[in-house]
Amino acid sequence: MRVAAIIAALVALAVLPRVVSPYFVTLMLPAFAYGIALLGFNLLFGYTGLLSFGHALFVAIGAYSAAVMTAKLGVKSFELIVLGAAFAAVLVAIPVGLLSVRYVRIFFGILTLAFGMLFHSFLFKFYDITGGDTGLRVLRPLLLGFAFQDLDKTAFLVGPFYYYCLALLALLGFVMWRIVGSPFGLHLMAIRENRRKAEYLGVRARLFCLLAFAISAFYCAVGGVMLAIGIGQADPELAYWTHSGELVFMTVLGGFANFFGPLIGAFSYIFLKSQLMSITEYWRFVMGVILVLIVVLFPRGLVGVAQTAWARIKRS
Amino acid sequence: MNAFFDLLLGGVFHAAVLFLVAAGLQLVFGVQKIVNLACGSFYALGAYFGVTAVKWAIAAGAAPYLFLPVLIVAGIAIGSIIGPPIEALLRTVYRRDEAFQLLLTFALVLMFQDALRFFFGANPQQLGDTAMVYGTLSAGSVLVPTYNALVIIASVAIAFGLGAFLQRTRFGRILRATAENREMSEAMGVNVRRVYATVFTLGTILGTVGGALVVPTAAASLDMPVELVVEAFAVVVIGGLGSMRGALIGALIVGIMRALAIRYYAELEMLAIYVVVIAVLIARPAGLFGKPVE
Amino acid sequence: MMNLVETADVAKAYGDFVALDGVTLSVREGELVSIVGPNGAGKTTLVNVLTGMLAPTRGIVRFKGNDIAGIGPVRLAEHGMARAFQLVHIFPALSVAETIAIAVVSRTGKAFRFFGSVRGDDAVMQRVREVAAIFGLEGKLDSEARLLSQGEKKLLDIASAFALAPEVILLDEPTSGVSSADKHGIMRTLIDAARRGGVKAIILVEHDMDLVAEYSSRIVALQAGKVLADRPPAAFFSDPALINAVVGKMPAQRH
Repeated sequence: MRVAAIIAALVALAVLPRVVSPYFVTLMLPAFAYGIALLGFNLLFGYTGLLSFGHALFVAIGAYSAAVMTAKLGVKSFELIVLGAAFAAVLVAIPVGLLSVRYVRIFFGILTLAFGMLFHSFLFKFYDITGGDTGLRVLRPLLLGFAFQDLDKTAFLVGPFYYYCLALLALLGFVMWRIVGSPFGLHLMAIRENRRKAEYLGVRARLFCLLAFAISAFYCAVGGVMLAIGIGQADPELAYWTHSGELVFMTVLGGFANFFGPLIGAFSYIFLKSQLMSITEYWRFVMGVILVLIVVLFPRGLVGVAQTAWARIKRS
Repeated sequence: MNAFFDLLLGGVFHAAVLFLVAAGLQLVFGVQKIVNLACGSFYALGAYFGVTAVKWAIAAGAAPYLFLPVLIVAGIAIGSIIGPPIEALLRTVYRRDEAFQLLLTFALVLMFQDALRFFFGANPQQLGDTAMVYGTLSAGSVLVPTYNALVIIASVAIAFGLGAFLQRTRFGRILRATAENREMSEAMGVNVRRVYATVFTLGTILGTVGGALVVPTAAASLDMPVELVVEAFAVVVIGGLGSMRGALIGALIVGIMRALAIRYYAELEMLAIYVVVIAVLIARPAGLFGKPVE
Repeated sequence: MMNLVETADVAKAYGDFVALDGVTLSVREGELVSIVGPNGAGKTTLVNVLTGMLAPTRGIVRFKGNDIAGIGPVRLAEHGMARAFQLVHIFPALSVAETIAIAVVSRTGKAFRFFGSVRGDDAVMQRVREVAAIFGLEGKLDSEARLLSQGEKKLLDIASAFALAPEVILLDEPTSGVSSADKHGIMRTLIDAARRGGVKAIILVEHDMDLVAEYSSRIVALQAGKVLADRPPAAFFSDPALINAVVGKMPAQRH
């Protein structure tokens, strides 16, 4: 039944560009990007129990890798860009992770926040390399070697790029599904539930937290690449701590205790934000209120609400 | 040499203000184990309200040299007003996982961001030259605005006051007992609810007063809430979460480093601070005065 | 026969406070050694030293000839010793099957498999079912641990330790919180499971002297950080002065 729902969703997403406006379709691109990023983020948060307030750092690494590779190094292959960005992210994740996983709970959050801001100030200050507060341009890449020259920017984004991103989301989603169902994933959950007991059962907590950290960095970077190509720009604000906060918000909105929660969260958040922004300039306030409601009343997010509703329907 | 002292004093002034915010953070964390991401928002609120209050006062005919007391009163007032309702909101997540507590304070950051814009507008607000009404002090060839010196003294006084309050008064002892062991305190008849409400409001007031005191030298702006959080967190990480002494030393370190960095390596400003944060954490994972937690 | 676990003149001091003051004991294959003593005698500290949690300030602690001072829980499990706690430690949101599977995965070295499915691994699930059956939990394999009764949680805690297929298992008050009627049943289950599961020795920390009298091959009594006595039950319980020092009363008649 779940498989059927997933296939239906994929089909719907594939058909989407044919039935809705290009504007709406371009909204889907950041949704895909954040969907991938959040799948990785939730491996660390929902499955391992570590709340990072600095993961936007890796999204920014992805975006800036795309910018540097396309605009400065002349690398146009999307595949190479993704690999390069992921490699850079994992490279950074290892020392950051090594330092951070020594701590748990709030200390982990604060330390990751500090690292995120460290990167942000790096991006801001070294404007020779990073373009400072104006950021860097990201040029259009080649998808599987194809340039699609005859398509203008929008047509490229809502056409080949859209489908490529959808496919990448499906692929990375499948990989993450296998990861969380694996023995490794089980050990991560053990760490989340009771780290001390897990160690007594032979779970190598620190090492596995580091691995989860690295994998989440990988996913966030891929999301960052997709985001940057869609916007055409890599911006230092991508690394700001409030952006990390948004990642957490999106995850919890969808439901961190469920595999699909973050995906639903990404889509809902992007959609909600764009709608609110068109209605009021005080959309942040509304988002804040929504977050309060989630935290206080619906901690399991939209998925939790749906599950409760479904259980109630089944009973009656 | 003069330039150096000038610099140092500027750093100490910034440290004085930072200490107030950090002390508020430490107090709330020490007792309620909540890290308040909205501390910067309180700071900004204090700043905006301080500017507004001084402008009202002057428009109402008050003498310019009264602006320091007005700022302090404004800071205390606005802190006392918003502290209790926000604590009431946080009460709903006291028993919950830390992640949710953090998220709730993040929601407050979002809400405050737009609330501040709604009430005070998008442009930075400042007091202009009002601060100079106190003139400058001179010690030898070193000149320091009297206002800055007053703030430093006030901050030190508050530091000692807080210390005395925590160590010597009955409520201070109750507070520390509740921080150590909530259940035990409750069993001994302490009204923990009231302690939490009072502590949170006190922490809020420290933040709003800090913000109010800074406005003569810096404009109240919408960037304040999110920027201050980072510095404040650097202070508590260096000093150690939950430690008042740590807040003081951490604030001094961050304040002076920032002053030095701005003067000598402008590009590095915050970078230098983060490097110190990370270095401290490697050497002493719990910060300089914090209790080791794992 | 080699000592499976042994300590030689182990001491642990915290500043001025001496928790352990020269403890020498050994555990051999086939033994069930009970550690008894009043609160504050140093049992917890000794257990922590024996399980590699604390490095002693003096003396040696060895497992199968290897120095295990302060090696930590993960490496302890790799060496072949498991520990079950006094206060129940479970994974609230994980099912019984998942809990046991964690240990099985560690034991079979499969933890680094990022891609394979746990549920689909027949070898793992088979072992999970075996262990669950030994402890009477086979009907609750898919129940979340937090929904189990207190007694079941206790069994799960111990079952997961057993699933590590350790050579030595240390049980820290396994029957605490369990009704008197059930205590002997649990002890028999544990000893039977140990025998069937290839556990070579059991170290038991217990306050219930009935159980200690019934099941121990040897009793080590601690007092103020020192070993007061190290004798088989017969020799132990025929010494009233010793019993008084340790407990203050004689055990009930044996079954």
